Amino acid sequence: MASVGVAKLPLHEDIVKDGKGIKDLQTQDEDGANQVVDPESLIKHPLQSRWSMWFFKNDKAKSWTENLRTVTAFDTVEDFWALYNHIQVASRITSGCDYSLFKEGVKPMWEDDKNKDGGRWLIGFDRKSKPQDIDRCWLETMLLMVGESFDDDSDLVNGAVVNIRSKGNKIAMWTGDWRKEDSITNIGRKFKERLGLPAKYSIGYEAHKDTMTKTGSMAKSLYTV
Amino acid sequence: MSAPAASRQLSAGRDIPSKRVTVNDPSQLPHDYSTTPGGTLFSTTPGGTRIIYDRNFLLNMRNSPLSQTPPKNLPSIPGVTCPEVGAGAEKPNGARKTATKTDPAEDQFQMDI
Repeated sequence: MASVGVAKLPLHEDIVKDGKGIKDLQTQDEDGANQVVDPESLIKHPLQSRWSMWFFKNDKAKSWTENLRTVTAFDTVEDFWALYNHIQVASRITSGCDYSLFKEGVKPMWEDDKNKDGGRWLIGFDRKSKPQDIDRCWLETMLLMVGESFDDDSDLVNGAVVNIRSKGNKIAMWTGDWRKEDSITNIGRKFKERLGLPAKYSIGYEAHKDTMTKTGSMAKSLYTV
Repeated sequence: MSAPAASRQLSAGRDIPSKRVTVNDPSQLPHDYSTTPGGTLFSTTPGGTRIIYDRNFLLNMRNSPLSQTPPKNLPSIPGVTCPEVGAGAEKPNGARKTATKTDPAEDQFQMDI
Protein backbone atom coordinates (compact mmCIF):
# COMPACT_ATOMS: atom_id res chain seq x y z
CA MET A 1 0.00 0.00 0.00
CA ALA A 2 2.80 2.35 0.97
CA SER A 3 4.35 2.50 -2.46
CA VAL A 4 1.25 3.61 -4.30
CA GLY A 5 2.45 7.02 -5.42
CA VAL A 6 -0.39 9.51 -5.40
CA ALA A 7 0.53 12.47 -7.56
CA LYS A 8 -1.86 15.13 -6.37
CA LEU A 9 -1.61 18.51 -7.98
CA PRO A 10 -1.99 21.20 -5.35
CA LEU A 11 -4.27 24.03 -6.32
CA HIS A 12 -1.58 26.71 -6.34
CA GLU A 13 0.34 24.78 -8.96
CA ASP A 14 -2.69 24.76 -11.18
CA ILE A 15 -2.84 28.53 -10.85
CA VAL A 16 0.84 28.89 -11.70
CA LYS A 17 0.30 26.64 -14.69
CA ASP A 18 -2.73 28.66 -15.75
CA GLY A 19 -0.76 31.88 -15.44
CA LYS A 20 1.96 30.53 -17.69
CA GLY A 21 -0.54 29.48 -20.28
CA ILE A 22 -2.07 32.92 -20.35
CA LYS A 23 1.31 34.65 -20.69
CA ASP A 24 2.16 32.49 -23.70
CA LEU A 25 -1.06 33.47 -25.38
CA GLN A 26 -0.55 37.15 -24.73
CA THR A 27 2.86 37.07 -26.41
CA GLN A 28 1.22 35.42 -29.35
CA ASP A 29 -1.32 38.20 -29.38
CA GLU A 30 1.33 40.97 -29.53
CA ASP A 31 2.84 39.37 -32.61
CA GLY A 32 -0.53 39.21 -34.27
CA ALA A 33 -1.07 43.02 -34.18
CA ASN A 34 -4.75 43.82 -33.61
CA GLN A 35 -5.82 40.26 -33.14
CA VAL A 36 -8.39 39.80 -30.41
CA VAL A 37 -7.95 36.70 -28.28
CA ASP A 38 -11.12 34.78 -27.70
CA PRO A 39 -11.44 34.64 -23.89
CA GLU A 40 -12.69 31.08 -24.35
CA SER A 41 -9.16 30.07 -25.32
CA LEU A 42 -7.62 31.62 -22.18
CA ILE A 43 -9.72 29.84 -19.61
CA LYS A 44 -9.51 26.19 -18.82
CA HIS A 45 -12.88 24.48 -18.85
CA PRO A 46 -13.74 22.93 -15.49
CA LEU A 47 -15.01 19.39 -15.29
CA GLN A 48 -17.83 18.28 -13.02
CA SER A 49 -15.46 15.89 -11.21
CA ARG A 50 -11.77 15.59 -10.60
CA TRP A 51 -10.38 12.40 -12.16
CA SER A 52 -7.29 10.30 -11.52
CA MET A 53 -5.49 8.30 -14.16
CA TRP A 54 -3.95 5.06 -12.88
CA PHE A 55 -1.45 2.70 -14.43
CA PHE A 56 -1.21 -0.94 -13.47
CA LYS A 57 1.86 -2.96 -14.36
CA ASN A 58 1.85 -6.70 -14.08
CA ASP A 59 5.10 -7.25 -12.17
CA LYS A 60 4.81 -10.64 -10.46
CA ALA A 61 7.60 -9.75 -8.02
CA LYS A 62 5.39 -7.12 -6.44
CA SER A 63 1.97 -7.11 -4.82
CA TRP A 64 -1.09 -6.03 -6.76
CA THR A 65 -1.35 -2.70 -4.96
CA GLU A 66 2.38 -2.01 -5.39
CA ASN A 67 1.91 -2.40 -9.12
CA LEU A 68 -0.84 0.18 -9.19
CA ARG A 69 0.16 3.83 -9.31
CA THR A 70 -1.45 7.15 -10.05
CA VAL A 71 -0.20 8.84 -13.19
CA THR A 72 -1.85 12.19 -12.51
CA ALA A 73 -5.15 13.85 -11.62
CA PHE A 74 -6.99 16.59 -13.48
CA ASP A 75 -10.19 18.59 -13.32
CA THR A 76 -10.30 20.61 -16.52
CA VAL A 77 -10.82 19.66 -20.17
CA GLU A 78 -7.42 21.08 -21.10
CA ASP A 79 -5.62 19.19 -18.33
CA PHE A 80 -7.26 15.98 -19.51
CA TRP A 81 -5.79 16.51 -22.97
CA ALA A 82 -2.45 17.64 -21.56
CA LEU A 83 -2.24 14.26 -19.88
CA TYR A 84 -3.56 12.31 -22.86
CA ASN A 85 -1.16 14.08 -25.21
CA HIS A 86 1.82 13.10 -23.07
CA ILE A 87 1.24 9.45 -22.25
CA GLN A 88 1.43 6.33 -24.36
CA VAL A 89 -1.78 5.26 -26.07
CA ALA A 90 -3.44 2.17 -24.60
CA SER A 91 -2.61 -0.15 -27.50
CA ARG A 92 1.10 0.47 -27.02
CA ILE A 93 1.47 -0.19 -23.31
CA THR A 94 2.94 -3.56 -22.38
CA SER A 95 0.65 -6.57 -22.46
CA GLY A 96 -0.62 -7.31 -18.97
CA CYS A 97 -0.88 -3.61 -18.10
CA ASP A 98 -4.00 -1.50 -17.49
CA TYR A 99 -5.00 2.12 -17.61
CA SER A 100 -7.80 3.19 -15.28
CA LEU A 101 -9.59 6.49 -15.06
CA PHE A 102 -11.55 6.96 -11.85
CA LYS A 103 -13.15 9.79 -9.99
CA GLU A 104 -10.74 11.12 -7.44
CA GLY A 105 -11.09 9.26 -4.16
CA VAL A 106 -12.20 6.00 -5.78
CA LYS A 107 -9.47 3.39 -6.20
CA PRO A 108 -9.68 1.17 -9.29
CA MET A 109 -10.33 -1.92 -7.19
CA TRP A 110 -13.39 -3.91 -6.16
CA GLU A 111 -12.63 -3.40 -2.48
CA ASP A 112 -13.13 0.36 -2.63
CA ASP A 113 -16.25 1.46 -0.74
CA LYS A 114 -17.70 3.04 -3.87
CA ASN A 115 -17.10 -0.08 -5.93
CA LYS A 116 -17.84 -2.94 -3.59
CA ASP A 117 -21.61 -2.93 -4.24
CA GLY A 118 -21.12 -2.06 -7.87
CA GLY A 119 -20.27 -3.76 -11.09
CA ARG A 120 -19.10 -3.17 -14.61
CA TRP A 121 -20.19 -3.07 -18.22
CA LEU A 122 -17.63 -5.24 -19.95
CA ILE A 123 -16.56 -5.13 -23.57
CA GLY A 124 -14.20 -7.81 -24.80
CA PHE A 125 -12.19 -7.21 -27.94
CA ASP A 126 -11.23 -9.92 -30.35
CA ARG A 127 -7.57 -10.87 -30.32
CA LYS A 128 -7.43 -9.85 -33.97
CA SER A 129 -8.99 -6.42 -33.47
CA LYS A 130 -6.90 -3.49 -34.64
CA PRO A 131 -4.86 -1.40 -32.18
CA GLN A 132 -6.71 1.68 -33.42
CA ASP A 133 -9.99 0.13 -32.25
CA ILE A 134 -8.93 -0.17 -28.63
CA ASP A 135 -7.40 3.33 -28.69
CA ARG A 136 -10.52 4.88 -30.18
CA CYS A 137 -12.86 3.04 -27.80
CA TRP A 138 -10.78 3.90 -24.74
CA LEU A 139 -10.72 7.58 -25.73
CA GLU A 140 -14.50 7.56 -26.29
CA THR A 141 -14.94 5.91 -22.88
CA MET A 142 -12.92 8.64 -21.18
CA LEU A 143 -14.72 11.43 -23.05
CA LEU A 144 -18.08 9.97 -22.03
CA MET A 145 -17.05 10.10 -18.40
CA VAL A 146 -15.32 13.48 -18.15
CA GLY A 147 -18.07 15.11 -20.25
CA GLU A 148 -20.77 13.73 -17.88
CA SER A 149 -22.62 12.20 -20.81
CA PHE A 150 -25.04 10.16 -18.72
CA ASP A 151 -26.86 13.16 -17.24
CA ASP A 152 -27.79 12.45 -13.62
CA ASP A 153 -26.77 8.80 -14.01
CA SER A 154 -23.20 10.11 -14.34
CA ASP A 155 -23.10 10.17 -10.53
CA LEU A 156 -23.28 6.37 -10.55
CA VAL A 157 -20.24 6.06 -12.81
CA ASN A 158 -17.06 5.49 -10.82
CA GLY A 159 -14.55 5.00 -13.59
CA ALA A 160 -13.32 2.74 -16.34
CA VAL A 161 -10.48 0.33 -16.98
CA VAL A 162 -8.74 -0.83 -20.14
CA ASN A 163 -6.89 -4.16 -19.88
CA ILE A 164 -4.24 -4.81 -22.53
CA ARG A 165 -3.93 -8.57 -22.83
CA SER A 166 -2.48 -10.84 -25.49
CA LYS A 167 -5.58 -13.05 -25.29
CA GLY A 168 -7.85 -10.06 -26.01
CA ASN A 169 -8.14 -6.51 -24.73
CA LYS A 170 -11.03 -5.41 -22.52
CA ILE A 171 -12.69 -2.14 -21.61
CA ALA A 172 -15.01 -1.93 -18.63
CA MET A 173 -17.04 0.91 -17.23
CA TRP A 174 -17.48 0.63 -13.47
CA THR A 175 -20.53 1.85 -11.61
CA GLY A 176 -21.71 1.89 -8.03
CA ASP A 177 -24.81 0.07 -6.74
CA TRP A 178 -25.64 -2.80 -9.13
CA ARG A 179 -29.29 -2.71 -7.95
CA LYS A 180 -30.01 0.53 -9.83
CA GLU A 181 -31.14 -1.26 -12.94
CA ASP A 182 -32.59 1.74 -14.80
CA SER A 183 -29.56 3.95 -14.35
CA ILE A 184 -27.14 1.15 -15.13
CA THR A 185 -29.08 0.19 -18.26
CA ASN A 186 -29.05 3.82 -19.43
CA ILE A 187 -25.31 3.98 -18.89
CA GLY A 188 -24.80 0.73 -20.79
CA ARG A 189 -26.90 1.83 -23.74
CA LYS A 190 -25.08 5.12 -24.08
CA PHE A 191 -21.72 3.40 -23.67
CA LYS A 192 -22.48 0.87 -26.39
CA GLU A 193 -23.89 3.52 -28.72
CA ARG A 194 -20.92 5.87 -28.36
CA LEU A 195 -18.43 3.12 -28.96
CA GLY A 196 -20.26 2.37 -32.19
CA LEU A 197 -20.82 -1.29 -31.40
CA PRO A 198 -23.20 -3.08 -33.76
CA ALA A 199 -26.76 -3.42 -32.41
CA LYS A 200 -26.59 -7.21 -32.64
CA TYR A 201 -23.51 -7.30 -30.43
CA SER A 202 -24.70 -7.29 -26.85
CA ILE A 203 -22.67 -6.25 -23.85
CA GLY A 204 -23.17 -7.52 -20.32
CA TYR A 205 -23.09 -5.99 -16.86
CA GLU A 206 -21.74 -8.07 -14.04
CA ALA A 207 -21.70 -7.28 -10.32
CA HIS A 208 -18.22 -7.30 -8.78
CA LYS A 209 -19.44 -9.69 -6.07
CA ASP A 210 -20.24 -12.23 -8.80
CA THR A 211 -16.94 -11.67 -10.60
CA MET A 212 -15.05 -12.14 -7.33
CA THR A 213 -16.64 -15.46 -6.45
CA LYS A 214 -16.46 -16.80 -9.98
CA THR A 215 -13.06 -18.17 -10.90
CA GLY A 216 -12.13 -18.97 -14.46
CA SER A 217 -14.92 -18.35 -16.91
CA MET A 218 -17.10 -15.27 -17.07
CA ALA A 219 -19.50 -14.26 -14.34
CA LYS A 220 -23.18 -14.15 -15.18
CA SER A 221 -24.48 -10.92 -16.63
CA LEU A 222 -27.09 -9.17 -14.52
CA TYR A 223 -28.13 -6.92 -17.39
CA THR A 224 -27.45 -6.83 -21.09
CA VAL A 225 -27.93 -4.14 -23.72
CA MET B 1 -9.05 29.43 -32.41
CA SER B 2 -12.60 29.83 -31.34
CA ALA B 3 -14.47 27.02 -29.72
CA PRO B 4 -18.15 26.53 -30.41
CA ALA B 5 -19.90 28.75 -27.89
CA ALA B 6 -23.01 26.80 -27.04
CA SER B 7 -21.20 23.54 -26.48
CA ARG B 8 -21.66 23.45 -22.74
CA GLN B 9 -25.12 22.46 -21.65
CA LEU B 10 -26.42 23.07 -18.19
CA SER B 11 -28.96 21.00 -16.35
CA ALA B 12 -32.26 22.51 -15.26
CA GLY B 13 -32.31 24.93 -12.35
CA ARG B 14 -34.14 24.53 -9.11
CA ASP B 15 -34.99 26.61 -6.05
CA ILE B 16 -32.33 27.48 -3.53
CA PRO B 17 -33.13 25.37 -0.48
CA SER B 18 -33.10 27.19 2.83
CA LYS B 19 -33.01 26.01 6.38
CA ARG B 20 -33.38 27.85 9.65
CA VAL B 21 -30.84 27.15 12.34
CA THR B 22 -31.60 28.29 15.88
CA VAL B 23 -28.64 29.43 17.92
CA ASN B 24 -29.33 29.29 21.66
CA ASP B 25 -25.85 29.90 22.94
CA PRO B 26 -22.78 31.75 21.62
CA SER B 27 -20.84 28.48 21.85
CA GLN B 28 -22.93 27.15 18.99
CA LEU B 29 -21.55 29.82 16.68
CA PRO B 30 -18.80 28.75 14.30
CA HIS B 31 -15.25 29.80 15.06
CA ASP B 32 -14.63 31.66 11.84
CA TYR B 33 -16.54 34.25 9.88
CA SER B 34 -16.60 32.24 6.68
CA THR B 35 -18.83 29.58 8.21
CA THR B 36 -22.54 30.06 8.75
CA PRO B 37 -24.25 28.45 11.74
CA GLY B 38 -25.34 24.96 10.83
CA GLY B 39 -22.87 24.61 7.97
CA THR B 40 -21.03 26.41 5.25
CA LEU B 41 -22.70 28.26 2.41
CA PHE B 42 -23.33 26.58 -0.91
CA SER B 43 -20.36 27.19 -3.14
CA THR B 44 -22.34 26.15 -6.20
CA THR B 45 -25.99 26.12 -7.07
CA PRO B 46 -28.14 23.74 -5.03
CA GLY B 47 -27.87 20.15 -6.05
CA GLY B 48 -25.02 21.30 -8.26
CA THR B 49 -25.31 22.39 -11.85
CA ARG B 50 -23.88 19.55 -13.86
CA ILE B 51 -21.16 20.57 -16.28
CA ILE B 52 -21.71 18.59 -19.45
CA TYR B 53 -19.44 18.67 -22.50
CA ASP B 54 -20.34 17.03 -25.76
CA ARG B 55 -17.94 14.91 -27.74
CA ASN B 56 -17.16 17.45 -30.46
CA PHE B 57 -16.37 20.19 -28.00
CA LEU B 58 -14.02 17.93 -26.05
CA LEU B 59 -12.28 16.79 -29.24
CA ASN B 60 -11.83 20.41 -30.38
CA MET B 61 -10.15 21.30 -27.12
CA ARG B 62 -7.40 18.79 -27.77
CA ASN B 63 -5.62 21.38 -29.93
CA SER B 64 -6.00 24.26 -27.50
CA PRO B 65 -2.65 25.82 -26.54
CA LEU B 66 -3.59 25.16 -22.92
CA SER B 67 -3.75 21.41 -23.67
CA GLN B 68 -0.15 21.18 -24.86
CA THR B 69 1.83 21.64 -21.64
CA PRO B 70 2.66 18.32 -19.96
CA PRO B 71 1.05 17.94 -16.52
CA LYS B 72 3.19 19.06 -13.61
CA ASN B 73 4.73 16.27 -11.53
CA LEU B 74 4.11 13.69 -14.24
CA PRO B 75 5.93 10.68 -12.79
CA SER B 76 8.49 8.90 -14.91
CA ILE B 77 6.88 5.58 -15.86
CA PRO B 78 8.80 3.68 -18.57
CA GLY B 79 6.53 2.79 -21.44
CA VAL B 80 3.88 5.27 -20.29
CA THR B 81 5.32 8.73 -19.74
CA CYS B 82 8.83 8.06 -21.04
CA PRO B 83 10.39 5.54 -23.45
CA GLU B 84 10.45 1.88 -22.47
CA VAL B 85 13.71 0.60 -21.02
CA GLY B 86 15.58 -1.58 -23.57
CA ALA B 87 13.42 -4.16 -25.32
CA GLY B 88 12.59 -7.16 -23.15
CA ALA B 89 13.92 -5.58 -19.97
CA GLU B 90 10.90 -5.66 -17.69
CA LYS B 91 12.70 -4.76 -14.48
CA PRO B 92 11.77 -1.49 -12.81
CA ASN B 93 14.99 0.10 -14.00
CA GLY B 94 13.31 3.09 -15.52
CA ALA B 95 14.38 5.50 -12.82
CA ARG B 96 17.99 4.36 -12.93
CA LYS B 97 18.09 4.58 -16.71
CA THR B 98 16.90 8.16 -16.56
CA ALA B 99 19.53 8.88 -13.94
CA THR B 100 22.37 7.53 -16.10
CA LYS B 101 21.12 9.66 -18.94
CA THR B 102 21.69 12.81 -16.90
CA ASP B 103 25.16 11.74 -15.73
CA PRO B 104 27.11 13.21 -18.66
CA ALA B 105 25.30 16.49 -18.17
CA GLU B 106 26.30 16.54 -14.52
CA ASP B 107 29.95 16.08 -15.49
CA GLN B 108 29.78 19.15 -17.66
CA PHE B 109 28.79 21.31 -14.76
CA GLN B 110 31.32 20.01 -12.28
CA MET B 111 33.89 22.73 -11.88
CA ASP B 112 36.11 24.08 -9.18
CA ILE B 113 35.39 27.54 -7.98
